[in-house]
Amino acid sequence: MNGAGPGRSTQAEPDLVFSCRDASVEFARRDGPRRVLDRISLELRRSEFLTVVGPSGTGKTTLLRLLGGLTPSTQGAVHVNGRPIDGPPAGVVIVFQDYSHALLQWRTVGRNVAFGLEGKLPRDAIDARVQDALRLVRLEAHKDDHPWQLSGGMQQRVQIARALALRPAVLLMDEPFGALDAMTKAALQDELLRLRDATGSSIVFVTHDIEEAVYLGDRVAVITGAPGRIGRTVAVDLPKPRDQIVTRELPRFLELRHLLHQAIGQSEHA
Amino acid sequence: MPEIGRFLARVNWPGFATIVVGFLLWELLLRAGLAQYQNLPPPSAIADGLVEITRNGELVADALHTLRVVLIGWATAVVIGVAAGLILGVSATLRDYSLASIEVLRPMPGIAFAPVALLLFGFSLQMELMVVILPALWPVLVNTMGAVAGVHARLFDVGRTFRLSGAATLRKIMLPAALPGVLVGARLSMTLALVLAVVAEMVGNPAGLGYAVVREQQAMRPDLVFAYVVAIGAMGVALNAALTGAVARLFPAAAGRVREAA
Repeated sequence: MNGAGPGRSTQAEPDLVFSCRDASVEFARRDGPRRVLDRISLELRRSEFLTVVGPSGTGKTTLLRLLGGLTPSTQGAVHVNGRPIDGPPAGVVIVFQDYSHALLQWRTVGRNVAFGLEGKLPRDAIDARVQDALRLVRLEAHKDDHPWQLSGGMQQRVQIARALALRPAVLLMDEPFGALDAMTKAALQDELLRLRDATGSSIVFVTHDIEEAVYLGDRVAVITGAPGRIGRTVAVDLPKPRDQIVTRELPRFLELRHLLHQAIGQSEHA
Repeated sequence: MPEIGRFLARVNWPGFATIVVGFLLWELLLRAGLAQYQNLPPPSAIADGLVEITRNGELVADALHTLRVVLIGWATAVVIGVAAGLILGVSATLRDYSLASIEVLRPMPGIAFAPVALLLFGFSLQMELMVVILPALWPVLVNTMGAVAGVHARLFDVGRTFRLSGAATLRKIMLPAALPGVLVGARLSMTLALVLAVVAEMVGNPAGLGYAVVREQQAMRPDLVFAYVVAIGAMGVALNAALTGAVARLFPAAAGRVREAA
């Protein structure tokens, strides 16, 4: 089930951000190595929104950690901007699923957002960037609050602002809206699409929600099985800007949803 | 005077009344002859004793000595305990090697070291400090170690995705995340340091408030014995209040968590 990888050479292409070639990840367990990701081949282009969808336990988080340089591949090659990954790459930031653990609870919202900039920019430049990032996620009024004083959706927006303040070329997002209620989730989805248009960042967005994957993505990659494999990759040819009501009622949206359900179902029963 | 008003509003009046009634009962029972112990003075005599030792300067001299021992001993215990706790919290290997030794040494009553300290240092400040530092070390060390080892793994992921250096990770993630635990240990250790200093003065170095209690007991002055006991209690309350106040001022975000834990 590995036919989705394109056959062309990848090294020299300038708008290629990530490229994985047959990358596998194994973890050492007491009963020997356990393979979590199996021969992943995947590409991310500049300003592309790639969603990765699959059931839980298929290595989605590990795939994101692999791209973010937190987990090394045991076989195969992972390149970022043409160079092999060796630790977290510059300009690539992960937004974690568990925002309450990922935020520095002892810092205010503003100081959380400044976290990645400290020591890299003069103070007034940091203040300006923090202000910009907070405006993008509409949290200017909460700059001096502490994270625990905010709702879950607001805390996740703080984490997104912290990543955006770095002006990253790539955002890696691990089920960032998984723990939120449906209404907050829809609002943050639209906010994220708006942010992508405003910043031009490339995004890899991991989720187990098929509709979310179709709604957000320019392209959807299906990951299934344990160990996780990329099944098929589907281009999402839906008009932009997307709209929570109109887009989700389009026949093409339903077709794509159907297609992805089948792709996941078939691999699960294969 | 809004400050006085705020202070009066914060006083726990029912709790205060209990103490006053207790002292009144104590005084009345002794005066009415309902309770008779040869060496139990009434509160009024203890108050007179306090005035006496304040006037003749002995209280201040003795209190300053004890305070110095407590502060030097406590500060040393905090520095060693935090440093060792950080190292042990970070390194699981070192923890594996040293946890058994810690668990053997930690429950030992520290005062049992007093004769050893006397042999090593004689009647001296060093003797007192050894008796204070060894036991006061453990709360800081164990709490720091636990707090560091308990820092959520996700925070270190955050440090890595933002490409922090090792030193920056220590300063910006590990220390602040572990701070409430460290402060809880420091507070427990402060209480312990006062107890140990007083005992060290009673059985070892003849100086300070602890020795004053023994001295007045041998001089058959129970009123002064109790006066010094009251002074020791007051010092404990004052030290605790000073530390709590300093924590609230310096680390407002951590103060709430410390108060809950301690």
